[in-house]
Amino acid sequence: MAEIGRVRIRIPPQIKRGDVVRVRSLVIHPMEIVQRKDGKPIDKNYQFIHKVIVTYNGREILQADTSQSISENPFFTFALKATEPGTVRITFLDTHGGKYEGTAEISFS
Amino acid sequence: MRRTAPLLIVAILLAALLAVTYAQTEKGGTAEPSRSPWVSRAIPEGRGELATLPDGRRAQLRYKGPPFGAYAGSDFGQWPTYAYGDTRTFPPVRQVAVPAIPGDPALGRKLFMDRAKGPCTGCHLIQGDDVWPAGSIGPDLSTYGDRSLPDQFVFNLIYDARLYFPNTSMPPWGTAGIFTAEEIVHIVAFLKTQKGNPPFVLPPEKDPARNPFTRKLEYYFGDNLDPTNNPAVLHAEGALTQWSKKGPAGKACADCHAGGPETAMKGVATRYPKYVAKYGRILSTEDFLTVHAPETTGMAMLAQSAENLSMTMLIKMQSNGLPVNVDVTSPEAKAAYERGKTQYFKRVGERNHACADCHQNAPGKGADKFLGGRLLGDAEKGFTKHFPTWRTNFQVVWDIRKRMQWCMTPLGMNYLAADAPEYADLELYLTSFDNGKPMSVPGIRH
Repeated sequence: MAEIGRVRIRIPPQIKRGDVVRVRSLVIHPMEIVQRKDGKPIDKNYQFIHKVIVTYNGREILQADTSQSISENPFFTFALKATEPGTVRITFLDTHGGKYEGTAEISFS
Repeated sequence: MRRTAPLLIVAILLAALLAVTYAQTEKGGTAEPSRSPWVSRAIPEGRGELATLPDGRRAQLRYKGPPFGAYAGSDFGQWPTYAYGDTRTFPPVRQVAVPAIPGDPALGRKLFMDRAKGPCTGCHLIQGDDVWPAGSIGPDLSTYGDRSLPDQFVFNLIYDARLYFPNTSMPPWGTAGIFTAEEIVHIVAFLKTQKGNPPFVLPPEKDPARNPFTRKLEYYFGDNLDPTNNPAVLHAEGALTQWSKKGPAGKACADCHAGGPETAMKGVATRYPKYVAKYGRILSTEDFLTVHAPETTGMAMLAQSAENLSMTMLIKMQSNGLPVNVDVTSPEAKAAYERGKTQYFKRVGERNHACADCHQNAPGKGADKFLGGRLLGDAEKGFTKHFPTWRTNFQVVWDIRKRMQWCMTPLGMNYLAADAPEYADLELYLTSFDNGKPMSVPGIRH
């Protein structure tokens, strides 16, 4: 896979003020799952994304706690009401202190 | 010989039957066709080789997992293949007497729908809400009984339709041994019950999707180049690591191809498959990597391996938007094109099918019609410009070769090696229809 932490965000190309649009995001991440030895889980600090934060022009609009049961290279999507032009920033935090960010610009046509 | 169902249990049940058939084949002295001189550089499952099963039978070693897994252990060795050394042909037209037994319409309907046999519903529509999904390659038989055709005629059509139509797409069910003469009597009895009221008129269809003639032709799976939509793009990006990784010979792709794939590989894939004099055959991008990577970097890049597929996609993506431009005019390429075209119309396998049966846009052929629930592509509209492609139903990447290998497996033929020259010629023929059209790799399809 490509480099860890690369975030890609897709929003529709044509947006009008007040539209509810679907924001699609994908982050490159291994999302380590529990390893077992002799049937018992190995106790270690697994690397996985545990928090997703979305801000819209600096205001937090979404926060999600995520677990290991999400796939490798996770894909997150949500609906957003485009009320003003500006920046949507999605931040992914992982258990190893990693912080991966991506932004998308909302402008009205 | 019977065909195994896409059900493992049935496959196991049929194992004994197949063993008997195989023994007969051995005694009959049906020789394996001579192999082409090209030594396959594919992963073991992709080579099309025969393997000895634990019970001593021999069958083709196929890919594990769906959809090939359903055919594990079934052997189609007695039927003609695309191999150039294979001169075997399908048995000639046969006509047998109609067995003097009463036909049972209920049993006939069951046989008509049996997925382990035809299923006949793959091509023909009949009455009943449980007929799902039916295809539209063959005539709609919903009111076939109204035509009052003689039993003997209908029986012959099913047993071996070549008797009346030498180039039919209908498999010779009796001659191939898929249906016995007795079973065909039951099917004939069933078809006579397919009547409209008044004749030729059926009540309006409740579900337009049941009927392949009114079903929607839906096949859009979103932007194939958007990584948030097509996971194959991520696989391709993974090959960037491989691009700059030094192989055992101390060299990486990047050492000779300066400027990264964007510069070095721009437009390259539009010319493949092409004739490469050094190897004396047509090579696709995938084939070329199997020989070029070991010779330069020392890294193996076996056909159908993850490395090969990802690198192929990475290279082809640098040509996205550029028109396909394969050579079919130089003497060598022209000869390969003609061989590919001959193969396209060659009849192979247990069901005596040719590619053209399903993919030619002509009366009685399958292009833009349904085989069961699957919409068949039109070869002349182009197949290859989006391969390798993401298969949404299997969640894996397939290149055009695996697609070819799968095309004929359910129709009763052992496949050739993924990098076989026979497939390369066929791919060149198919790609020629894409000439001038923009490439878009990786594709996304069901």
